[in-house]
Amino acid sequence: MNREAKAEFQPRVTVQARNSLQKIGERALPWLVPVALLVLWQWASSTGRLPIRFLPSPRAIVNSFIELSASGELWTHVRVSTMRALLGFAVGGGLGLILGLLTGSFRWAETLLDTTLQMIRNIPALALIPLVILWFGIDESAKLFLVALGVFFPVYINTFHGIQSVDRGLIEMGRTYGLSRWQLYREVILPGALPSILVGVRFSLGFMWVMLIVAETISARSGIGYMTMNARDFMQTDVMVVGILLYALLGKLADLFSKGLERYWLRWHPAYQPAR
Amino acid sequence: MLAEGRQYSRGVAISIDDVSIALGGRTVLQHFNVEIAAGEFVAIVGRSGCGKSTLLRSIIGLETPQRGTISLGSIAHGQPDVRIMFQDSRLLPWKRVLQNVTLGLGAAYSIQAEKILAQVGLADRAHDWPAILSGGQRQRVALARALVHDPSLLLLDEPLGALDALTRIEMQELIENLWWNRGFTAVLVTHDVAEAITLADRVILIEGGRVVLNEFIDLPRPRARGNPGFAALEDRILLRVLQHRTFPVNTSGTREIKQTIL
Repeated sequence: MNREAKAEFQPRVTVQARNSLQKIGERALPWLVPVALLVLWQWASSTGRLPIRFLPSPRAIVNSFIELSASGELWTHVRVSTMRALLGFAVGGGLGLILGLLTGSFRWAETLLDTTLQMIRNIPALALIPLVILWFGIDESAKLFLVALGVFFPVYINTFHGIQSVDRGLIEMGRTYGLSRWQLYREVILPGALPSILVGVRFSLGFMWVMLIVAETISARSGIGYMTMNARDFMQTDVMVVGILLYALLGKLADLFSKGLERYWLRWHPAYQPAR
Repeated sequence: MLAEGRQYSRGVAISIDDVSIALGGRTVLQHFNVEIAAGEFVAIVGRSGCGKSTLLRSIIGLETPQRGTISLGSIAHGQPDVRIMFQDSRLLPWKRVLQNVTLGLGAAYSIQAEKILAQVGLADRAHDWPAILSGGQRQRVALARALVHDPSLLLLDEPLGALDALTRIEMQELIENLWWNRGFTAVLVTHDVAEAITLADRVILIEGGRVVLNEFIDLPRPRARGNPGFAALEDRILLRVLQHRTFPVNTSGTREIKQTIL
């Protein structure tokens, strides 16, 4: 009797209003700390408590960004860096994909190549830098090599693993339905390996940026890294921060892109179905 | 032996001649002989590991007998088509239901695929991903896929084992109807004796790698489970499977559980 009375007493209007207020609150709250930090930072810079040589004010960074983009300098550097990254990704990723498909699908290829590749993998790419400079000098091919190396292994390993772990029951079923070897590969094995391959792609995108940053830091005549290093020589901390933020932004964009790719190519996956 | 009232038979006869199959060093079937008539519905029962699945898989070529031959008869037009249904639906998750049904056949069969999806009651699900279907629905898609190309022989490897009891009964009716109307030969492997009697013209029991029981089911279709003939048959076959003569009762009136001999 009591429970019924209580239920009757809940006016629907207040509940609805509370829900939308809750929603706004949930959306806004995560931003509270960053915004507060930003305000604190600007205040510290404006009052001189934060020396410009240490860290510029947020306003200075924004101004710097506007200046650089207006003059077109920013976009030139961004374009150069992005092209390097994409080229390295294409080479390293493409090679990793092909070798992964090869060793995953053919026993002889696995026996021949996998051990060698695993041994190379154990060498940290960054440790190879002095050797890379010796081999390639400090021009574009050195940077390409480093980025490609960083991208290669995640793609290779996950492609190999993806092919090996395709559901054998599905392959068997495919055979009973008269699928040719090529059809089996195209309809069953490759799509089955795709989730794993995309995981490899996502990992390799992270490595791609790291290797690019390192490669551009060592030596460059263009690109975001060059812009940042140059700014350091002239104590332009605001430009340096712009460079760092650009790397972060591009990294985030790459991650969003790979997530979007996954969401499209894997839209059949149980994990991507709308909650029932 | 065809049941009365069948209009035609598109099925193919199967001849299994002195077949021996060993798996992993263990002899599963030996000197196995069975003849299945065109259009017949045969159920194979037996304990786990008796070789019934192995037999089915060797008919479609997934296993190779060490000795003996398995041959299919001829049919009116072309080569006999064999299809198999597994215990799990084995649908390709990255293809929509319609594309799964037309697997290996191409878009030309889309209309036929839609027709058979309607027959299994899934016409409105043709463009869904398998991930959102229930187990029973997935098995129905698998059945549609197996039948879209009108095979002469359908092999069923415990296809209803993973389904709940009610869905199982619905699927049995569906399979029986499709078999009756299309006339293919059907070989069903099942551990469920009642299911075997419901669907088959003949029930075969495999034990020790050989046929030890070959029971013709003379009941009218559709088989009524309440029918005393049904119950008697089921009892007889089940007791033979479990190797009980009767359930013995001791002097105190309680039932003694006899140790089953494997």
